[in-house]
Amino acid sequence: MSSWTEGGAGQAALRYPHYVDIVTKRYFDGVDNKAMLQVLDCFTEDAILTEVTSMTVHDGKAAIAAMFTKLFTDFSDIWHGNFVHTVDPESNAVCSQFTVLITPHGGDELRYENCNRFYLKGDKFHRVYVYMSGDNLLKEGDA
Amino acid sequence: MQYAPTMSRDALIDLAINRYFAQVDAKNLEGVLGCFHDEALMCVQTAFTRHSGKAEIGRMFADFFGAYQTIVHKDFTCTVDAKHGRIAASFEAVLTGHDGSITRLFNTNFWRVRSSDTVGKFQEVYVYMSGVNPLV
Repeated sequence: MSSWTEGGAGQAALRYPHYVDIVTKRYFDGVDNKAMLQVLDCFTEDAILTEVTSMTVHDGKAAIAAMFTKLFTDFSDIWHGNFVHTVDPESNAVCSQFTVLITPHGGDELRYENCNRFYLKGDKFHRVYVYMSGDNLLKEGDA
Repeated sequence: MQYAPTMSRDALIDLAINRYFAQVDAKNLEGVLGCFHDEALMCVQTAFTRHSGKAEIGRMFADFFGAYQTIVHKDFTCTVDAKHGRIAASFEAVLTGHDGSITRLFNTNFWRVRSSDTVGKFQEVYVYMSGVNPLV
């Protein structure tokens, strides 16, 4: 798999449920419950997460962890739901649309209608692209 | 919402890329609208903009075609869920204004396809944009 590309040929297709489960039951469940280890376990070591609407790039697991540390600190409540998935085992990818309800400490609840594109390498996220319907909440970590 | 899947992977890609985007880039309004059901919904989620029905979608595309000298969509990466009649694609949109200015967007579209009389068309289209929404 040395010539890995996003959704490229030559990847091993996983079972259909794997793609839905890693997005909902593992990744976003971990985000909503601020379970950092559960979240990070979904990524390869050299994964890159990009927030496209602000072109903010988090390169590597450490940078992704720093970003989530800030997110978990800055917001008291986080909820992702109303998912619709486009699952493509043949290209080892899943694209998901969803609603986000998120509340900053001491502030009012914000509603976003976002999408993520997840490209897997093996059975974990290797490239993730996030589109947000409002200001970017996935800022660089302070660490 | 989920629609009965009737189209193959290749047919979904052909509809989204070769029929829809090729006609957008050619500014062929009739060809573009031929990809939509009459009561289709097209939403630009990153701008909370909704176009409901073929008439509204046609008005939006007519304005879009008039606002730019050339429109090019390229470098598609498709994610296809043929079992559920869904396709998503990331791509670059290069919009050249009448004054020569160039706008580059790195967008993602989601299409939900419903077949009627064995012809698959868009029932719902969701657009997520990296910049300012030109589909108004």
